[in-house]
Amino acid sequence: MYSHILKKDLKRKKTMNFVLLVFILLAAMFIASGGSNMVTIFTALDNYFEMAEVPGYWFLFNDITDKEKYEDFASENNYGCKSSEMISANADNFKIDGRKFDYSNIICIETTKEPLRIFDSGDNEITNVSDGEIYFTENVFYSEKNNFKIGSKIQVTINGVVKDFILKDYTKDAICSSSMMGITRILVSENDYNYLKKGKPGVLWSCNVYTDDKDYNAKVSKIDVSSMARADYNTIKLMYITDIVIAATILVTSICIILISMVILRFTINFTMNEEYREIGVMKAIGIKNGSIRFLYIVKYLAISVTGALAGFIASIPFGKLLLKSISKNIIMPVTGSYIINLLLAMVTVFIVVLFCYFCTRNINKISPVIAIRNGETGERYVKKGFIHLSKSRLAPVPFMAANDILSSPKRYMSMVLVFTLGILLVIVPVNTVNTLSSDKFIELLNMASCDHVISQKMLVTENSSGLENVREKISSLKKELEKNNIDAIVFQETCFVSNIFFNGNKAEVMAEQGAGDINDSMYLYIDGTPPENCGEIAISSVVAEKTGAGIGDDAEVQMGGETKKYTVTAIFQSMQNAGATIRLYHGEDIASKNLSGVLGIQVRYKDNPGSSELSGRKKLLESLYPDDKVYSASGYVTSMIGDISGQINSVKNLVFGVVICINMLVTILMVKSFITKEKGEIAILKAIGFKDISLSVWQTLRIVIILLVSAALGILLSSPVSQLLITPIFRMMGAYSIKFDVNAFEVYLFYPFFVLITASSAAFLSSQGLRKIQASQASNID
Amino acid sequence: MVLEVKDLCKTYIINKRQNNVLKNVNFTVKAGEMVAIMGASGSGKSTLLYSVSGMDNITAGEVKFLGKDISGMDENELAKLRLDKMGFIFQQMYMLKNLSILDNIILPACQSGKIKEKHNKTAERGMALMHKLGISEIADNDINEVSGGQLQRACICRGMINQPDIIFADEPTGALDRTASGEVMEELERINREGTTVLLVTHDVRVAARCTRLLYIADGNIEGEYNPGRYTGSTKLRERERQVSNWLMEMGW
Repeated sequence: MYSHILKKDLKRKKTMNFVLLVFILLAAMFIASGGSNMVTIFTALDNYFEMAEVPGYWFLFNDITDKEKYEDFASENNYGCKSSEMISANADNFKIDGRKFDYSNIICIETTKEPLRIFDSGDNEITNVSDGEIYFTENVFYSEKNNFKIGSKIQVTINGVVKDFILKDYTKDAICSSSMMGITRILVSENDYNYLKKGKPGVLWSCNVYTDDKDYNAKVSKIDVSSMARADYNTIKLMYITDIVIAATILVTSICIILISMVILRFTINFTMNEEYREIGVMKAIGIKNGSIRFLYIVKYLAISVTGALAGFIASIPFGKLLLKSISKNIIMPVTGSYIINLLLAMVTVFIVVLFCYFCTRNINKISPVIAIRNGETGERYVKKGFIHLSKSRLAPVPFMAANDILSSPKRYMSMVLVFTLGILLVIVPVNTVNTLSSDKFIELLNMASCDHVISQKMLVTENSSGLENVREKISSLKKELEKNNIDAIVFQETCFVSNIFFNGNKAEVMAEQGAGDINDSMYLYIDGTPPENCGEIAISSVVAEKTGAGIGDDAEVQMGGETKKYTVTAIFQSMQNAGATIRLYHGEDIASKNLSGVLGIQVRYKDNPGSSELSGRKKLLESLYPDDKVYSASGYVTSMIGDISGQINSVKNLVFGVVICINMLVTILMVKSFITKEKGEIAILKAIGFKDISLSVWQTLRIVIILLVSAALGILLSSPVSQLLITPIFRMMGAYSIKFDVNAFEVYLFYPFFVLITASSAAFLSSQGLRKIQASQASNID
Repeated sequence: MVLEVKDLCKTYIINKRQNNVLKNVNFTVKAGEMVAIMGASGSGKSTLLYSVSGMDNITAGEVKFLGKDISGMDENELAKLRLDKMGFIFQQMYMLKNLSILDNIILPACQSGKIKEKHNKTAERGMALMHKLGISEIADNDINEVSGGQLQRACICRGMINQPDIIFADEPTGALDRTASGEVMEELERINREGTTVLLVTHDVRVAARCTRLLYIADGNIEGEYNPGRYTGSTKLRERERQVSNWLMEMGW
C-alpha cells in the first residue's frame, strides 16, 4: 500500500516534488564539489612542494666565495645541500619571434641539473631538455604583453654568442614560478648551456638546503655570508600568495555555497512537509499509526534525495573542476583519480535531507488528526498577520500586497535573504580586495612613498649596478628633463641593502631600504611612532618587530656588508616588500655604495596634481625619455612587483559572480514556483475578482525585489567587516597588518547589487508566468 | 438586459474523451433580477456560472454582458470586466490571509480605479458596506478570527465594493449553518432589492425560495424555469420553499 501511496503522491504533487528534487540536486552538487575542493586546496600546496622537493632554505649567490662558505657551513652541520650553476641574464639578452622581451626581473638560465624537481604544463617532471629547446616559467609564459606561444622562436644573445631556441612548454617551478619571487628560471639543454657560456656571462649559484634543524637560524646568524636572494620554505610558500588568495576565495565560496544549500534544503523540506499536513490528518483519522506515517514520508524523501544526490554527485565533478581551474595553472593539484569524497558528500546530503525530514515529522506525534485537518492545507497555526493596512497606505494594491506578505511572514523569506546576502558578499569581498590591490595607494604597503609614475629599470639588481652615485645622477638628470618640459615634480628612488638585524639575541634577515632623491622619511606610511629624522635612527616593519621583539625606542644592531651598527627604532610600519622583512634607514644616513644590492623604480610625484589625460601625456614623455625602460602608474608598478594578484582574483571573482548569479536565479525560480504552487488558491481568487495576470506576476516579482533590496543592503553593510575578517589575515601573511579597504562605491553600491537585482528579478518575473495556467474558476475548488 | 446567453456550449476533453458539459444553453437575466440556477450534482451549474461570468472560456455560443459579447474578449479585458462590473461570492469564503477583513474588502476597489478616490475614502465606503451587513466590528480582524457567516458577509462586501452590475454567487451558503445561511441570503436579497442583479448557483431550496426566478439545469441544458416573483414577505417563506420543492420534484430533482 505504501508504494501505491508514494507513487500517487509523486504523480499528484509533481511540481513540489520536482522543486524538491532540483534543490537536493543543487545542494548535493554544491556540498560535494565545495567539500572536495576544500580537501584538495588544503593539501595542494604542501603536496606540490613535496613533489617538487622544495628545500628548507634556498639561496641565490652571485659570489662563489659566499656560496662555498655556505656549503661548508651546511656540511659542518650535516645539512643536505645541493647547488647548481646558472647564467645570469636580463630581458635584453632575449628576442621573442624577433620582438623585444618585456621583463624587468632577473633571468637565470639553467639545465636540468637543478636539484629542484621542475614540471611541465602536463605535470610531468622535466628530466631532459633537447638541444634547441627552451622552457619558460608559467608566470612569464602567460604574460600577455610578450604573447608567448609554444613553438615561438626565442633568440638568446650573450656577449655576441647567439643561439636560437624553440619554446617547448612552460614550467611549474616551485621556487621561480611566482612573480613575487622576482626571478625567472629558463631551462635549456646542457649542450646549449655550455654554448651560451662561451659568451662569458655573469654566473649565479642556486643553493638548496634540506634541514629541519630548529637551531638553524641561530647557527646561520653566526656566519657572515651575503646572498643575492634567499627564502625559507615558508617564504617560498608565501610567494604563492596569489594562489593562496584564490584558493581562500574558492574555499570561502565553497563554504558559502554549502551554507546556501543547507538553507534551501531546510526551506524546501519545511515547505513541502507543511503541504502534507492535511493528508497526515486524514491518515491519522483513519487510524494509521504515527510511526507508519513518518516512515511513509521518510521513505518518500529518501527516494527523492537519493535520486537528487546521485544527479548532484555527477554534476559536482565538472562544477568542482571549473572552480579549481584558476589555481591549477601554477601548481600541481593532487590527482585523486576517484571521486569518493564527492560521492560521500552527496550521500551526506541524503542523510541531511532525511534528518531534516525526521525532525519535521516529529510534529506528527504531537498533533491530533483534527488539528491537522482543520488547520487546512498548511498545517500552520494562525498568528496575527499584517502590521500595515491597505486602507491606511498610499501604496497601490500590488506593491502593498508584496510588502505586506513579507512583513506578515518574515520567517518564510529568511532563507532567501540569507542566500542573496551571502551571494552579494561573495562578490563584494573579492571586489573590495581587487580594488584595494589595484589602487595607487597600495604602493605604500610596499614600503614606498606614493607617487604618480614609476620608471622601472633593467639591470639594477645585478652585481654590476652602478652604485649610489649613479642612482643620484639618474634622479638629477630626470629632474632636469622634467624641468625642461615645465613639469614641477619630485623625483626619488628606493635603494636596497641586504642586511641582518639583531635585537635581544634575535636575528632577522631583512632588506634595508633608504630613500634617495627628493625624499624625506615622513612621506612613507607608518602605523606607529615618528619617522627616522637623524642618522642612527630606523623604522622597522611589524614583521621585523614581531621576529626580533624590538619596539619603538629600542636600540637594535644592523649588520650590513660585514659591519654592524647600532640604530634606535623610532617607528613601526607595514610592508609587503620582501614578505614584510624590511627596515627603513634615515634618508640622510651615509651607507657605503658597495653594500647596495638593488634599487626599485625611479618614482615621480607631480606637484600640480594633474588630471588623467595630463598624466597619460606625461607618461608618454617619460617613455620617450627612457625608451629602454618601462613606465608604470603606481598600481601598475605594484602589479609588476608582486604579480597580477588583482587580475587573478578578478578572474576568480568573475567566476564566483557567474556562480552566484546562477545560484540566485535558480533559487529564485524554484522559490517562485514553490510560492505559486502554495498560493494557487489566492491567485485564483485574485484572478476571479479581476486582477490581471501581469499584476499578479508583478506581485510575485516585487516580493523577490524587496527581498533582494533588503539582502543588498545587508550585503553592503556587512561587506566591510566581512572583507576585513576574511582578507586581513591574508594580507597579514604578506606583511600588511592593517589594511584600509579601497571601496569602489560604483561597483559595490550600485553595479553588482543592481546586476544581482536585475537577474534575479527577471528570473522571478519569468517563472511567475506559470501563474497564467491557474484559472479564475479554480477559486471554486480550492483544496 | 444584463446577461444574454445564446447556444452556449462547453466541452472538456478528459482522457481523450469529449465531455459535453453544457449543450446549447440559452437564457437571459434582466437587470434587478435574482436568478438561481439549480440542478443535481454534476449537471453543469457551476460550469455555467463560470462560463457566463468570463472566468472560464466557452467552446461555442455567445454570452452578452450589458450588450457586449464577452466570448471573444481576451484575458485582460475579462479581468477588467470582472473587476469593475461584476462581483463574485464563492462557497469557500476565500480571502487573502495576510490582509485584514477591511483590506480584503477594499482590495478590488483600490486595484480598479473605477471610482477615483484615496484609500482612506475607499476604506470609508468599505466600512459603510460592512456596517450595512452588520459586520463593522470585525474590520481590523484577521480572517481566522471571525465566523463563517461573518466571513461570507465580508465576501459579499468585497463583491459589492466596486458597485457591480451583477453579483455571481456559487453556492454562497454551502459552507454555512442554517442561521448564518439565512443572514447571508437576507443581505443578498437586500442588495438585489437595491438594484444589483444576482445570479447564483445553489442546491438549497431555502436559498432558491428567496430568488425571483429559478432555472433548472440537467445534462448540460436548461430544462425548466420557475418564476415565483420577488419575495415580499406576504407569503410565508416556508410556503415559498414548499412551492419551489414541488417544482423541483416535477423537474426530477
